[in-house]
Amino acid sequence: MRRIAIVEDEPAIGANYAEALRRHGYEVATYANRPEALAAFRTRLPDLALVDIGLGDDVDGGFTLTRELRALSATVPIIFLSARDSDFDIVAGLRLGADDYLTKDASLPHLAARIAALFRRSELLSAPPASEDIVERGALRLDVKRLTADWQGKRVDLTLTEFWMVHALARHPGHVKDRDALMRDASIVVDDSTITSHIKRIRKKFQAIDPTFDRIATVYGMGYRWGE
Amino acid sequence: MKLPRIALGIRAQLLLVLTVFLALPWLGLSYVRELERFLRDAQERTLAGTAQAVATALHDRPRLFATPPDPIASFARERADDRASGASLPPSASPEIAQIIEGLSRTTARIWVIDRQGVVLARAGSLFPPASPSPPESTWGRVRRATVGRLYQAVLDQPSDDFSDDAATQGAPHGRDVEGALGGILTTDRRPTSDGKAVIVSAAHPIWVGDEVRGVVVAEQTGNAVLAERNRAFERLFNIVLAVLLVGSLALTAYATWLSSRIRRLRDDAERAIDEQGRVRAPLASSGAGDEIGDLSRSFSSVLARLSEYASYQEKMASRLSHELRTPIAVVRSSLDNLKASPLPAEARVYMARAQEGLARLTQILTRMSEAARLEQSLSDVERVRFDLVPVVTGCVEGIRLVYPEARIACAVPPETVEIDGAPDLIAQMLDKLLANAVEFAAGSAIAVRVEAASSSVAIAVDNDGPLLPEGMEGRLFESMVSVRAAAGGNEPHLGLGLYIARVIAQFHGGTVAAANKADGSGVVVTVTLPRLA
Repeated sequence: MRRIAIVEDEPAIGANYAEALRRHGYEVATYANRPEALAAFRTRLPDLALVDIGLGDDVDGGFTLTRELRALSATVPIIFLSARDSDFDIVAGLRLGADDYLTKDASLPHLAARIAALFRRSELLSAPPASEDIVERGALRLDVKRLTADWQGKRVDLTLTEFWMVHALARHPGHVKDRDALMRDASIVVDDSTITSHIKRIRKKFQAIDPTFDRIATVYGMGYRWGE
Repeated sequence: MKLPRIALGIRAQLLLVLTVFLALPWLGLSYVRELERFLRDAQERTLAGTAQAVATALHDRPRLFATPPDPIASFARERADDRASGASLPPSASPEIAQIIEGLSRTTARIWVIDRQGVVLARAGSLFPPASPSPPESTWGRVRRATVGRLYQAVLDQPSDDFSDDAATQGAPHGRDVEGALGGILTTDRRPTSDGKAVIVSAAHPIWVGDEVRGVVVAEQTGNAVLAERNRAFERLFNIVLAVLLVGSLALTAYATWLSSRIRRLRDDAERAIDEQGRVRAPLASSGAGDEIGDLSRSFSSVLARLSEYASYQEKMASRLSHELRTPIAVVRSSLDNLKASPLPAEARVYMARAQEGLARLTQILTRMSEAARLEQSLSDVERVRFDLVPVVTGCVEGIRLVYPEARIACAVPPETVEIDGAPDLIAQMLDKLLANAVEFAAGSAIAVRVEAASSSVAIAVDNDGPLLPEGMEGRLFESMVSVRAAAGGNEPHLGLGLYIARVIAQFHGGTVAAANKADGSGVVVTVTLPRLA
């Protein structure tokens, strides 16, 4: 059975999440603060960690904990789940090696879907790709099962949210995806400027591999489009 | 009753206060008058002393008064320089007496010795001072005489040697003093000359022979010496007062100018610190001066700082509120999600659906509330690019047409490219807010979007024929959480953040946004003005 660690200082939320995930067949342990969680991680690593950024008085406790957890394991999937939704927090969290960043607006079914997707990704990374799950658009290659993206044969390190956005755009090249559609596809509820900053981050990640990358076009007032 | 307000600057007020010191010359004048009286008394006493001394020399010498006078002999002794009218003066009749009093002729007094019948026995001295060449006048003296000297001449009696000597026409003195002395009493008198040009002060002393008054000694002098002394004192005093007043008012004027310039600067700074909408534009640099104006500047500065803190608190309130509410809402949401997953009776599902619908709206409100704050945070690392504004505007209009198919939106853009420096995403976000706002307010009427390019700026005007803005709201509309909607209708929450976001974006691009009722009263026009690149 897969073990999920929830580090959350609000007991009601922690208990609700734990219960929902148990229903999905996971073994769940909840921790209210950083030292407690770290002690448990040292004894035994979880298969996935769900971390709140603010832990009681420790405003950035989640960030510190993530750094410590990454030191213990480079591969364990980590999801930030926070009431904070500023670009600064999102970028800081993802830089520390988190696999996804969710605000607490996300519903439990959305959360469960992400957790399942992350487990699938880590599970299938070693298995050979099945051709029916591959989306290829020119130099872009998306593995929908394993949630990986390659550009010109090189891996683009996308978070789950970012992957789903690229997937939503690339599935129907030339079609304008408005912000609502992107949010639906990425299972997030955010405002316009967050979508804008997600798109910006995605472009930057592709440009890191290919400086001439310009496939994601902005259609002002409407949304975004994958250009061939 | 209300007095009319007279606007007086600090300088004018200080100068007005300074007029109090104009009393100083008046004080000086009365002081000088006192001095003059004192001097006159002294002069009278001196004359009385002279008369007494001469009389003392003549007392109890009956022989001197026995001899009949010999006018011819004494006439020869007349002083040659007795200028006024020496020829007509009554001559000395008694050479002996003339000899006794001759030594007194060098004084500025004129001594008469007369007998009971008014016959002049002897006379010495003159009322007129000896003529002496006046020293050459310096340039400064000439200037002074031409300026303040004229004033003094107008105000003060000037001593004059050009008076008519009454003795020349009326003979020996026969005034009140002589009568008093003949009665045996030392008497002084003061009388103007017949032409009024001078005052003659005289003292008469009786000459006793035994118990009998045989003659009178009269000592006469003009009041000119006292007058000259008084005038000199007054001039000196007045010169000093004038100089002090002049220097004082110059210094005070300079001081007041300095003060009022500092106050004016403070006022300008304070006015500049707050823009038309009452927002603190920039903190006021507080002055380091230790006086009250420095104090005022510091307290202005701290008031402004507090005001701007309060304004930023207000602007951040939305995001703080949304942040604080997120956690309890997450509790509610996760609880509802769990509840949904468990078997529920049919009627409970209805309530569940309503609760989740309400929660969705709440979430939308929170998202809107944090949008403004996130936008402000993200502005610091926005990449600026040079881009053409026209396709962004037409794209946004297209987008709005898709979202609101029933809205009638006209769009007029210039044929050329209009390049600006900034972030097209932000401009699109701003236009979305403005257009969505216009669509809601137009309520089915036509909306017109115009891009009007000038040489160095470009204006985007969005006008609709909806209800007019209430008086006084034109500026406040763009503040955080200010809305003019009568009531929040429909499902869309109205937090009054849309136009605030538009303002933040316009300001980021170095532009402005303003809303106004159209001149003909047919609707409202919102205009964004941005600097255009050459």
